[in-house]
Amino acid sequence: MKYISREALQTWLDRLANDVTLIAPRLVDDILLYQSVSSAREIVLDYTRPKMSAKEVVLPSSEPILFVEKRGQEVSLTEPSSGAQIIFGLRPCDAHGIAVLDTVFVGQEPIDLNYARRREAITLIGLSCPQMREDCFCTSMGGMPNDPTHFDVLLTEVEDGYAVNTVTDKGRTLVDHLNLEEIKGEPAEPIINETESVLAQEHWPDLFADHYWDLLAERCLECRMCAYLCPVCRCFDVQDQVTQQGISYSKYDRLRCWDSCTGTNYRVVAGGHNPRATKGQRLRNRFFCKFHYFPVEYDHSGCVGCGRCIEACPVNIDIVEVMRDISRAFNASQISNASPDAEKGVTA
Amino acid sequence: MTEFTLQDQIRDRAKQLLASEQVKCVIGYEHGSRGQVRPAFIHQINDVDSLVWNQGCTHNLVTYLRDIKGTFGSDEHLQRVAIIVKPCDSRALNVLLAEKQIEREHIYVIGVVCTGIVEGAGYAGQSSDKLQTRCVRCSDRVPVIYDLLVGEPTHPEITDDYVDLTELEAMPPAERAAFWLKQYERCILCYACRQVCPGCYCSTCMFERDDSLWVGIAAGVKEKEAFHLGRAYHLAARCIGCDECERVCPMELPLSLLNHKLAKEVQRLFHYCAGDEPSQSPLATMLAEGEEFPA
Repeated sequence: MKYISREALQTWLDRLANDVTLIAPRLVDDILLYQSVSSAREIVLDYTRPKMSAKEVVLPSSEPILFVEKRGQEVSLTEPSSGAQIIFGLRPCDAHGIAVLDTVFVGQEPIDLNYARRREAITLIGLSCPQMREDCFCTSMGGMPNDPTHFDVLLTEVEDGYAVNTVTDKGRTLVDHLNLEEIKGEPAEPIINETESVLAQEHWPDLFADHYWDLLAERCLECRMCAYLCPVCRCFDVQDQVTQQGISYSKYDRLRCWDSCTGTNYRVVAGGHNPRATKGQRLRNRFFCKFHYFPVEYDHSGCVGCGRCIEACPVNIDIVEVMRDISRAFNASQISNASPDAEKGVTA
Repeated sequence: MTEFTLQDQIRDRAKQLLASEQVKCVIGYEHGSRGQVRPAFIHQINDVDSLVWNQGCTHNLVTYLRDIKGTFGSDEHLQRVAIIVKPCDSRALNVLLAEKQIEREHIYVIGVVCTGIVEGAGYAGQSSDKLQTRCVRCSDRVPVIYDLLVGEPTHPEITDDYVDLTELEAMPPAERAAFWLKQYERCILCYACRQVCPGCYCSTCMFERDDSLWVGIAAGVKEKEAFHLGRAYHLAARCIGCDECERVCPMELPLSLLNHKLAKEVQRLFHYCAGDEPSQSPLATMLAEGEEFPA
């Protein structure tokens, strides 16, 4: 494995910032976010986890996916373009999240052209986590704090610099001309927490009708914070917005914007019917999507264990606690299906 | 009186209310999954002992009455809920009563004498010894509405001079606008501020209509500005200053500044403080004949 010194890294990052759009952990009004930087100086290297995931880079919170122009009777359509972007300092859970989004948007036909166009021009340079935070559980979701799998290049801090693990050809073209030296020792192993395991997806339907979801949802505020901070939640809404309207000339943007199943009106259909009429049904969908629907469809968890929703939820809806409760409830139901407690839900 | 005994009194009354079937649920606080305090909904006597009262009880539980207001049936006794309120929370009850969102007989109010909530409350590992800013400036110790009062009232002399506003008010308008636009830019439109607010109970928020009548679907700074300013205006003379919107904001927008500014103006113009009485906001009423707009 190669090695890059701290000074050489700064020089390299300065050059990248000059050549392409470089996105890296940066303080914005004291909040750490993955955002574009104009020089290496702006980049924070000593951090645990930015407040938001890097999802916004591949799937912006709101983006035009089509521009429509109408001149007289003539209609012209233009698709947006996107330039080269490099995300530096990405954590393994966030790269894992992007890999999961890739599965959804470009993993099978028909692919999402807009996503594909942007994603193709993005290179991922990661930074291993030296240790897991208390609310991290990537190891429950098949990840590791130093997992190189989903990166083009992964850096891991060593004394006086970083070990450089070049994973893909895309990464190789970036790193090759850097004249890096061979590393002397191996980087230290990260400090791992013991984490909860998730109930196998095939067992989740047994708990679909459990009263647990209604009880859990009592304190849910039905905001969308958990979904918007999540590296994997990818639901969106599409609307056409008029940007200019005249007799002979009009312009419209077709916009795609984040949406979330925890919102009250997410599932409302024409005529006003809401198939997920209760809070419990809506919150249940969040967890079933991650641990049942997604695994069934893609053979992979819909959660990467970054822990952001745990940290941010103002009413302590804790996904790890839910995983634990559901496993316990399932195990209890296996021991005795006829237990009178089953009626009351798992927390009763 | 110690916190322990306040907690005991709350539990005792909760047990009585549930045992006598006077209420179907007690909305209070319990320990969360990682040592923090979180809202609790107690339906059974066996669960009453999980109720806690301490300086981490930051949540304004009145907001949850929005979810259950449609569930009150004809059998009022069985359908009542008990709710634990701090003095600030209790003023939100007055707002909802005045606006006919709840009926007084549907709620049993356990009012707690409050000496302040600590910063970081509600979040794992973030609780500090320092009181929240809103609490440092608050002289209310006794809720404005209660059926049972828990704790011994004290009467501290604190006058709020809105120091945090002075700086902002002193800014030239362009600079102030730039300050706020920079704040709005961070907003992710998760609507947690609206969802946590007891005063935001519209079934369809005007800023989120499917037809985008007032505000478009885009997550641009213009849309965010319209949402936050619009929400602030809708809460003028209705916001009771619990600052929960600011606490829950994942992007740390200083939303309380907007609300305090409006509260200050309402106080100056109408000598009105939201929630002191179960009366309609002066901005939702009309001048009677002969009545004049206050100077």
